Amino acid sequence: MSGNLERRYRRVLRLLPGWYRAQWEEDMVAAFLDSWLTSDPAADEYITKAAGPSSAEVASVVGLAVRLYLGGAGSQRRYAWGHALRRAVLAMMLVHAVLAVDVLAFLVWSRRLVGWLPAPPGSLLVAPSGVWDTAFYLVSVTWIAVFVALAVGHYRTARILAALAIIPNLAALLQAQLTGIMPAPFGSWAFWFLFDLVPIVAMTAFHRDAPPLAPGRWLLALPAGYVLVYGPLLALGATGNFAWVPDFPGLCCILLSLACLAHAPRAWSRQVAGTGLWSLALVLLAAVAAANRLVTLTGYLNDQHLIDVSLAELLIVLAAAALVAPDAARAQAATPAPPHPSAVAA
Amino acid sequence: MPAKPMTGQAFFVLTALADGPRHGYGIVGEVAELSQGRVRLKIGSLYGVLDRLAVEGLIEPDREEAHDGRLRRYYRLTRDGRGALAEEAELRAATARVVRARLGLTGAQAAGASG
Repeated sequence: MSGNLERRYRRVLRLLPGWYRAQWEEDMVAAFLDSWLTSDPAADEYITKAAGPSSAEVASVVGLAVRLYLGGAGSQRRYAWGHALRRAVLAMMLVHAVLAVDVLAFLVWSRRLVGWLPAPPGSLLVAPSGVWDTAFYLVSVTWIAVFVALAVGHYRTARILAALAIIPNLAALLQAQLTGIMPAPFGSWAFWFLFDLVPIVAMTAFHRDAPPLAPGRWLLALPAGYVLVYGPLLALGATGNFAWVPDFPGLCCILLSLACLAHAPRAWSRQVAGTGLWSLALVLLAAVAAANRLVTLTGYLNDQHLIDVSLAELLIVLAAAALVAPDAARAQAATPAPPHPSAVAA
Repeated sequence: MPAKPMTGQAFFVLTALADGPRHGYGIVGEVAELSQGRVRLKIGSLYGVLDRLAVEGLIEPDREEAHDGRLRRYYRLTRDGRGALAEEAELRAATARVVRARLGLTGAQAAGASG
């Protein structure tokens, strides 16, 4: 009787994870058919032939599937992707925040806004700037706010601020596209796409059911990250070894490789629980870093040495990610399904 | 950190189960009636809410019954679910009292305004 209608609805339910369907599919089908069938054989025969799930019904299943795949309630630790994605997004916001702290520190120093700091060299003095530079500094402050909001659990605020923060860079890129002149020190299209747009889209992983993070550790990572990254870079610059200072894509590859190497012993030991989520997050971040390195290679087409260095950075980050990739794969397969409610009741 | 606020859908689903166990479509119908047609749960949304409430320990399966060759699973409130619903109802009632007071509505006026 319910054949065609039921078949159409079951087809939609295939969007849901297999373990979830095993628990809820029959229930959902029964409820769906109850909402259509009338117990009048003639009417039901017509309905089952002609009717199908409405677009709103399909949308509700799609929404449920997205929430489950990104680790919402019910999925608990079943889907490592949601957990890993949140860590990867926060790490990318940390990169933004560290860059922003550097921009602001440089601004304070170069404009001599703090009297007791030593005077900057003449080459670093910044001339009074226009609206684009002001926008750039405001965007920098906004990225710090995005990172802090995300770390302390104000996800909606973080999403709104991040959406606002990427607009000036986009406007600058469009203007550069039209006039040939980049009006402010914003990033390239690759940077905007990979480091601005992608993490903002991925912020959907921070939904209302997302488990809380450890805000203390993440907030501490901001000053620590700034010192650990810019300390060695400043030391290289101060000792005249500018040639060793990598560009931004190269720096990302190097830092990611170091993070993978530091994590690899834990990932391989199998003695430490929960390493797989970090392994998966590192693999995701390595993919972004490698993509950024690859697309920025085109800027060095006239310099074989820089191409060689960039390719080496690319290979290093891919090799480092390969070290933790098996653990990342295990994280997706090994996390246990949540107990079925009926099992809990029994 | 304060507990997450209860969503409107979760509130209506718990309320639908307050006077006894119901199966999936029974909950959909009861929610529509309780909300005077303003909340019409789609099945995907309903099971998202049921799933979340089951994980939080606020509802649990009650029994299964065969109907037209299909098994209907009934759900009921747990003790925690009753507590959470009572707490949420009290919070909403207190909020409603504040709203009525600020609008300068008496009970009869408020009923007239809503009807």
